[in-house]
Amino acid sequence: MAISPERPDNTLTMAEKHAIPIDILSDATSEVLKNYRLWFAVPGEVKTLYLEKFGLNLEKHNGAGRWELPVPATYVLDRGGFVRAGEADPDYTVRMEPAEIVAAIRGIVGGP
Amino acid sequence: MSLKERLKEFDASRKRPPEITAILRRGIEDVRASGAAGLRIGERAPDFTLPNQRGEMTTLSERLARGPVVLSFYRGVW
Repeated sequence: MAISPERPDNTLTMAEKHAIPIDILSDATSEVLKNYRLWFAVPGEVKTLYLEKFGLNLEKHNGAGRWELPVPATYVLDRGGFVRAGEADPDYTVRMEPAEIVAAIRGIVGGP
Repeated sequence: MSLKERLKEFDASRKRPPEITAILRRGIEDVRASGAAGLRIGERAPDFTLPNQRGEMTTLSERLARGPVVLSFYRGVW
């Protein structure tokens, strides 16, 4: 399951929405981001940079007044909902290794 | 090559002006200092219900009843 603060995506056709094999979830109030301690308000000088240099207005994606984002994070949950592996880094250029994700799932379900 | 190595290479290839890189770096450190560190290993993930791309309400605990779940929090498509 993938979660972002964006409003539901309107750029996909219905067929495309049905073809995507995972849930792409919209946290339009940031409640879940906060519950997972991943929420932050975009710092002022970064907001200015996005607007003036990158032409990026987050309100267009997230909704009015919502200059807020999650720290990118990945969690592998076992059937009880407990975090068995995961990574969250405020440096948004860093992501959890796919091989570690696969290994964590194998550790839960068994198998090579 | 690992994903981390590939992302590092990609980031280095962007060749941003140093003053822009400095702003982005300060922003990352601000967020780090805010303590937004996410869940700990072994912690139970809070349950939630959110709409998916087809507008269907989707509940984590219902998905977990079928098996393990990988949760990916991302900033958006922009």
